[in-house]
Amino acid sequence: MNETDPDVELLARIGNNEPQAVNEMVTRKLPRLLALAGRLLGDADEARDVAQDTFLRIWKQAGQWRSGQARFDTWLHRVALNLCYDRLRRRKEQPLADSDELPEAVDPAPLPDELLQASAQSDLMAAALAALPERQREAIVLQYYQDLSNIEAAQLMNISVDALESLLSRARRNLRNHLAESRDDTGPRRETR
Amino acid sequence: MTPERFHQLADAYGAELRRWPSAERTGAQALLDSGNAQALATLHQARLLDRLLDSHQVPAASPALVRSIVASATLTPAPSFWRRHMDWWSKAGFVGVGLAGIAAGMLVVSFGLPLMLPTSSEALPSIFEQSDADVVMSINAEETDQ
Repeated sequence: MNETDPDVELLARIGNNEPQAVNEMVTRKLPRLLALAGRLLGDADEARDVAQDTFLRIWKQAGQWRSGQARFDTWLHRVALNLCYDRLRRRKEQPLADSDELPEAVDPAPLPDELLQASAQSDLMAAALAALPERQREAIVLQYYQDLSNIEAAQLMNISVDALESLLSRARRNLRNHLAESRDDTGPRRETR
Repeated sequence: MTPERFHQLADAYGAELRRWPSAERTGAQALLDSGNAQALATLHQARLLDRLLDSHQVPAASPALVRSIVASATLTPAPSFWRRHMDWWSKAGFVGVGLAGIAAGMLVVSFGLPLMLPTSSEALPSIFEQSDADVVMSINAEETDQ
């Protein structure tokens, strides 16, 4: 924890009620929070709710933040993860109520071929991520998409770095298998004699 | 680094060495620089999955969401000076009450003790002025006379 926390100065400015600092914090953290919650929950609406709730906690915490504790970004991930866990837990408690609801559809506006292809690829990946066991998905989201170090990701998941490495390997293997199967299902059929 | 360890790391962290544990990067780079065919093939496989992972898009934040979150900052007032220092003040309050109690105790004891102490003004607690000492001593003297 010797590195300077890049968010501390911004937090102090928010604590002093600087409107510009509030805007900067939203610009800096909102995409990360939406990405984290969106990938863990697979639902854009729920991801927005998690982001809003997380920011409420940021505003409360900003004036009292003391450097030298955990890095602010790590704390932020912890808060957002807990909010995601709550929602995932609720889903398990009410599986039938939500089973008919599909995640928010992508923008229905017509897309050029390239974008359509990119969108289809993204949907394929989203399905592969959603099919992963929860802990594997969490590991790959924190380490790969959120770009956290292995130590930070392991700390957030309350596991050892070795255990994280194992989860990541299994996650990547499952993703490869799922994507290969999807291609087999949707790809051109080979002629059989 | 052995090609086997390289394979394990690529299998977990992907093709970009910057995502690998910092302690392993130099060894991994050295293996790549040596042209190790197994390591290069492993990296190629890992890169294919990385590209697929990168293809996953998440919806961008809408302007309405940004406005709502920014507005929530003004709806959540930062703790006031008094609130922020409430802990400190409450602790100070306890200490103050404690000190007042000690002072009161000293005062009460000081009224009772002179009966057993020499009739010198030096025996009084220092919180008394010298001029008060004569008055206090005279009161005690009258009480003992009775």
